[in-house]
Amino acid sequence: MAIEEVDAGSELDERSIVDPAIEIRNAKVTYDEGESYVLDDVSIDLDRNEVLGVVGESGSGKSMFASSLLDSVPDPGVLTGRITYHPRDGEPIEVLDLSKEELRELRWEEISMVFQGAMSSFNPVLKVRTHFEETLEAHDANVAEGMDFARELLSDLYLDPDRVLDAYPHELSGGMTQRALIALSMVLNPEVLVMDEPTAALDLLMQRSILQLLEDLQAKYDISLVFITHDLPLIAALADRMAIMYAFRFVEVAPTQDLVANAAHPYTRMLLNSTPNLDAPLAEMKPIEGQSPAPINLPSGCAFHPRCPLAEEQCMQSEPDYHDVSDRQGARCFRWEAAQAQILLNYEDMLEDRGTSGGDADE
Amino acid sequence: MSDDGTPVLSLEDVEVHFEDKPGLLEFGDETEVVRAVDGVSIDVMENDVVTLVGESGCGKTTLGKTAIGLQRPTGGSVKYRGHDIWDIRDGNSDADITWRDVRTSLQIIHQDPGSSLNPNRRIQTILAEPLKQVRPDLGRTEKRERILSLLERVGMNPAPDFADRYPHQLSGGEQQRVALSRALLMNPDVILADEAISAVDVSLRVEMMDLMLELQAEFDTSFIFISHDLSNARYFTAHADGQIGVMYLGELAEIGPAEEIVNSPKHPYTNVLRWATPDLSLQQTGEIPMRKIDVPDPVDPPSGCRFHTRCPEAREACQTEHPPTYSDDRHHVACFRENEDHDYWESPKLTD
Repeated sequence: MAIEEVDAGSELDERSIVDPAIEIRNAKVTYDEGESYVLDDVSIDLDRNEVLGVVGESGSGKSMFASSLLDSVPDPGVLTGRITYHPRDGEPIEVLDLSKEELRELRWEEISMVFQGAMSSFNPVLKVRTHFEETLEAHDANVAEGMDFARELLSDLYLDPDRVLDAYPHELSGGMTQRALIALSMVLNPEVLVMDEPTAALDLLMQRSILQLLEDLQAKYDISLVFITHDLPLIAALADRMAIMYAFRFVEVAPTQDLVANAAHPYTRMLLNSTPNLDAPLAEMKPIEGQSPAPINLPSGCAFHPRCPLAEEQCMQSEPDYHDVSDRQGARCFRWEAAQAQILLNYEDMLEDRGTSGGDADE
Repeated sequence: MSDDGTPVLSLEDVEVHFEDKPGLLEFGDETEVVRAVDGVSIDVMENDVVTLVGESGCGKTTLGKTAIGLQRPTGGSVKYRGHDIWDIRDGNSDADITWRDVRTSLQIIHQDPGSSLNPNRRIQTILAEPLKQVRPDLGRTEKRERILSLLERVGMNPAPDFADRYPHQLSGGEQQRVALSRALLMNPDVILADEAISAVDVSLRVEMMDLMLELQAEFDTSFIFISHDLSNARYFTAHADGQIGVMYLGELAEIGPAEEIVNSPKHPYTNVLRWATPDLSLQQTGEIPMRKIDVPDPVDPPSGCRFHTRCPEAREACQTEHPPTYSDDRHHVACFRENEDHDYWESPKLTD
């Protein structure tokens, strides 16, 4: 695994992932004729069969990133850049060059998406079965075979296939509907699954249960998964690699173990410290002062500098590129070494017990 | 509990059953009873925090609403400063407390602040409304002053600017601060915070909880805090030296001081909630410590211990007998595993 970035000339550019499922280059979403942007020059690769956790606060541009992967940015937003999908076999596909019909085929069959709020993704007057059948028909798939696969998926998700298929959406609990939606999104056996806050409306126990099931599904069906959330600790248990978003761009990308043990961007470190958890001393959980910026009037230089305790002159003037923390971890921060030394993680003591700092994070 | 006076609120053996009558088009005349809350007793003291945790549908919101008089219990009693609030309501009480006093003293903040604020009113007007009720003697300027100082206190600066905005012009966190201010203006004894921080970003939750804790000390209120997240429950409750109550299918499975519930849970279900709580320092969480993912139907809850259908430790004894509550100082648990001599240990494990 490697980090992929960004402007030409960056050293990180040369260490591309060997077998990417999706390559995203300089993706940018603008509104108001370019006056404000909600996704700013984002470049990253999704490795085949990896789970990439994209973490950001509300309004950081993370949902825009998800929509970009399917070229479904809501109007009047304009998406530019290059998004290349690599099927397991066959020629790479330029997503942004596809016709409407080609795009319709790509979505669901190759790249599928699960949104937050399963209830609004289902038609309330149709049985769950009808949703599966219509999806299969719309994509010219064999319905009988597809329904067998649907049953298998539902069982994988600890659901009783017959009961769920015969139910109307409102007859199922929130957790069941969300799992049925995950099964529906996978019924055409897609290569890539993009999930935008798929569990946010559920209670924690159901969220964790679903994450555990996703891990099993991901391994069983060889899918690449992009999981978008504001909840860093939640996704840490599932993601192979994490990308932290702040003010419409990625500020740090690293394998999960490295990120949790050695986060380098001050924002990442402060975000890790701000989340309540069960083990850290209570006094050391601290909120991040200030607010994240709106798409207009972004701060000059590093967008995080107004909230950053380590900001100095250069942070206000120029925008930091990725700095190599290791060959797999990059942070857009001039002062990442100071951040690691001065912003202590409130669970650091517990990390040492496990000896995970650095080390090999791959399976 | 720390105080030795009368509890502000005292719930005794509270039971809330909802009748679900068959609809016009359904056959049969079987009335289904949803047992939302069954036999729960909790005391809330002055300046106390009682947190209820559990899954969706475990009855924590119903219990919270019953505690503050928004829901009439079908059994047991809810007492405010020693007087049954429903007797007060029905005029059967000799206490010199009116129903209005009770309702004023017990306030609520909802999960979704956006929908609890009138979208067509400015913040100033929204906050003036409760003030009109409790302090009709205040003039316009005095009212405005109180509102502004409270807005400042909850961190909304500059206050005059915020007071003139409409709810949609505020972020989710700011809306929740307005909802909190509105509850505080009534000078309440108890505020029910029903998933009050679940809708704000994870990174802002600590800030919101800190604010609520500061205000709790300043305004002398108690909180009933409802959450499905054990780490938030721990943060909020431990800071206030309160108790966490773990609910399962309408019953209290375990209740005790925050750190004890988190660090040495005794009920297998509390352990499950602990497993579900994301933890940065321990990523290898392993399999779900439960035999089934979905909660059984509360219309027909399992016999014996209600958790036996999912419990990883369940044995045959759990199917038939309802576990009593075993108490150890401030820590109470409803599980046979607390009794070393119970038949439980001799009976075969449930596997299915």
